[in-house]
Amino acid sequence: MNKHAKPKQASHINRREFIKLSTSSVAVLAGGIPTGNVFASRKSRQPKPKNIVLIITDQQHIDTIAAGGCRHVRTPSLDKLKKSGVSFTQSYTANPLCSPARSAVFTGRTSSECGVHINGRPMRSDIPNMGQWFSQHTNYETFYAGKWHLPRTYTLDIPGFKVINTGIGGFGYLCDTVMSRACESFLRNRSKSKPFLLVASFMQPHDICEWLRLNMENPDGLRYPQLAGRLTELPSNFNFDNNEPKDVKNRRLRNDPFRGKSKWNKEHWRYYRWSYYRNIEHLDAEVGRVLQVLEDSGYIDDTLIAFISDHGEGMGHHQMVRKSSFYDEASRVPLLFSWPGHISENKTEAFHLVSGLDLMPTLCDYAGIKPPKNMRGRSLRQILEGNVLSWAHTVVTEVSSNTGRMVRTQRYKYITYKDDPVEQLFDMIDDPGETKNLATGSNYASTLTEHRRILKDWEARLDVAPNVPNTDAWWYKV
Amino acid sequence: MAKKQTPKRTIVGSPLTPSLLKELSAVDEFPETPKDFDPQAYWVNMYRIWTCHGFRESGNQNVGFLRIERTAGKANQPIILKVRQEVIQTDGLLHTLDAKIKCLNNQLASPVQWHLRSNFLDPNRQNIHDLGTDEIAVIDGNIINIRARGGHKFRREVRGLLTSDWCLFEAVQRLKFDKEPSLNFDMLEGLGLLKQGQCLSYSGAYPMKMGGKNVSLHRFDQLGDGILPYEYWLDNNLRLVAVTSMNKAYILDGQAEKTIKQRIEQLRKSYRKTKSSVRK
Repeated sequence: MNKHAKPKQASHINRREFIKLSTSSVAVLAGGIPTGNVFASRKSRQPKPKNIVLIITDQQHIDTIAAGGCRHVRTPSLDKLKKSGVSFTQSYTANPLCSPARSAVFTGRTSSECGVHINGRPMRSDIPNMGQWFSQHTNYETFYAGKWHLPRTYTLDIPGFKVINTGIGGFGYLCDTVMSRACESFLRNRSKSKPFLLVASFMQPHDICEWLRLNMENPDGLRYPQLAGRLTELPSNFNFDNNEPKDVKNRRLRNDPFRGKSKWNKEHWRYYRWSYYRNIEHLDAEVGRVLQVLEDSGYIDDTLIAFISDHGEGMGHHQMVRKSSFYDEASRVPLLFSWPGHISENKTEAFHLVSGLDLMPTLCDYAGIKPPKNMRGRSLRQILEGNVLSWAHTVVTEVSSNTGRMVRTQRYKYITYKDDPVEQLFDMIDDPGETKNLATGSNYASTLTEHRRILKDWEARLDVAPNVPNTDAWWYKV
Repeated sequence: MAKKQTPKRTIVGSPLTPSLLKELSAVDEFPETPKDFDPQAYWVNMYRIWTCHGFRESGNQNVGFLRIERTAGKANQPIILKVRQEVIQTDGLLHTLDAKIKCLNNQLASPVQWHLRSNFLDPNRQNIHDLGTDEIAVIDGNIINIRARGGHKFRREVRGLLTSDWCLFEAVQRLKFDKEPSLNFDMLEGLGLLKQGQCLSYSGAYPMKMGGKNVSLHRFDQLGDGILPYEYWLDNNLRLVAVTSMNKAYILDGQAEKTIKQRIEQLRKSYRKTKSSVRK
C-alpha cells in the first residue's frame, strides 16, 4: 500500500444481521484456526512501520476518553490518539489482574498457559515474550520503560528488552512522570536510522488503589466543599443482583467501600469516581509527553502506536472497585492503534470482539514476522485497515487464581467459577450494564449449553503451565 | 514447619495530613522556622518526598528530595528559583532534575524563562547520556519557545495565568490566610505538562500536636484537571512545612538530601550484589 493511500472503507453490515449469519461460525472459530498460515501468505506484501511504540496503562476503565464520549474528563492526548486511528469498544483483557493480563499481552498466550495465574509470578521460560521474539526475528531494537510486573513490578532486567527506566512500585504519579521524561529524552536523542520497538508502560490510573486505602473511611462530609455539585454521578448499574457467584460477592465485601467503620454513602462513591478521573487526566498528560516527542522528532509517520490497558476498574458499577471481576468495567479495556496513512483514521470499531491476546500476533504481523506457535489471539491488521472480517471472535478471559472463566460471544457473556453452581449469563446487547442474570431462566438453557461447550473447546486447546492450580474445574474435564 | 506469618497490614483509611504523617512516623516534628523568616527574601527549603502505599506498617518510603532556593531582587523585580529534585527508582536508578526559573513577582510567581536539566544515573552512578535532556525555555505571550539539547526547537501554546508546581511552593508562602478570593490559573507541572483549570484557595487553620506542642497549621487547597488535590500546610511564620497530595508528601526536612543519598547507595549496592550473584 502506498504510504498515504486511504485504507479500504468498511462495508456497512447491520450488527444484528451479522450475528444471525455468524452464530454457527462463532463456535467453529472458537475451536481455532492456525494463525501461522494466514501470516505466511501475506507476510512479504505488507508495508511495515519503521518503529513500534506500545503504550500500556494500568487499570484504565474503557470509558475514560473524552473523544470516546466520556464527559467527565479532559484527555487531549488520548483524544488525539483515538482520532488518528482505530479504537475498539469490544476489547477485553485476557485476565482482569495486572501480572496475568500482562503475561497474555506480551506472549499471546493465556495467563494459565504462562503460569501467571496471580500477581507476582514469573512467566514460563519456554514461552517467548515480545521482546525476545522481536530481538530474534526482526531488526527492531527492543526497549522497555516502566511497569513490568512479571514478576517484579519494576526491574532493570527484562528478558529480550533493554530497560531504559524503571519506577517506584505503587506510586504512579511520581514514577510515570519520570518514565515519560525518560522516553522523551530517549526518543529525542536516538539516531533515527535504527528501527525500534519501545514499550512505555505507565502505572496510572492504578493510583486509585492507594486512594481507596487512604479514603476507606466514610468521611463526615466533603473534604473539599467546593466540589459539591461537581462530583461525578453514580453509574446506572450502581446496584447489583444478589444472585452472583461467591467469588464476586466476596470480592465486593473485601474491598474498601465495605470494609470501613461504616459503608460508603453515595457522596463518597461519587468522590471516588471524581478522583479516578483525575488520575486518568494525569495519565493523559504523561502519555501526551510521549506522543508529543514522537511528533516533534518526526517519528509519528513511520511509527505504529498501540495502546492498551492491562485491565479495567470497577468505578462503582455494581458497587465494585478495583479489578478481578468479569463485569465489563473491570474486564473491558481501551485498545487503540494508530499509524497515519496506513490504518483507518478516527474509526470506532464496535463490532469485532478482541482481546489482549491479540496484541502479540498483531504486532508480529506489522513487523512482518510470524508470531510464536500456539497464539491464542489473532492479528487485528485486517480490521485496522478497514476490512470487516467474516469471523466473529469469541473471547475467553480467566480470573481469580484460575478459578473463573468468562466467555464473551457476539451477543452474550457467560461467567462461571469452579465449585460454584451460580453461573451468569448476560445479554450484552439488550442489557449492556449486566443487571439481569439470564442463567437462572429455562429460556436460555440452550444458550448456556452452547457457551459451556465453547469454553470446553477453548480449554481443550490450552497447554496449561504445571504450576497453575485449580485445574480440576469442570471446564478442564473434557 | 512453622507457618509463614503474613506481615500485618492495617489500612490507613483517611487522607494524609501532617498529624497522620506523624502517626505513620514520616515526620517527628517540623523544623522550627526562624522568627525572622521572610518569604519575600532569600531562603532555602528542603523537602523529603515520602510516599504512602495506604498501609500503616509497610510500603511507605522516602523516595526523593526537593530543594528550592529563592533569591529576589528589589520589589517587583523577578524572583529566581533554583530547584534540585532527586527521585529514586527501582534497582538503583536515580532521576535528577535541576531548574533555574525566572518568575514574575506576581501572586503565583509565574515563570517567564527557565533552564531545565533532567538526567538519569545508572546503578554505577554513571550518567545515562541518551536519557538526559537540557532545555532553555522563554515565554513570549502565549507561546513557550523551547530549545533542547541537540538543537531541537519546540513551541508550546499556553493561555491565561500560568505557574508551575515548584513556583507554587514559593508563591503559597506569600498568600494571605484569607478564605477569599481563590486563585485560578493553569499549571505547567515540572515545567513540562500543562494542567488546566487549577484553583487555589485557603481552607483554614488546623490545630495539631507536634513535638509535644500544640501548633496550628494553615492549609491551602489546590484542585484542578490532571491532579489529585494538593494541600499546602504552612506554619504561623508563613513557611511551607508540608505538601500532601493523595499518596505523596513533601515534608520540610533539612536532612532530606542526606537521607536520600544514603538510601540510593543502599539500593545501588543491593542491585550490584544481586547482579554479581546472578553472574556467579
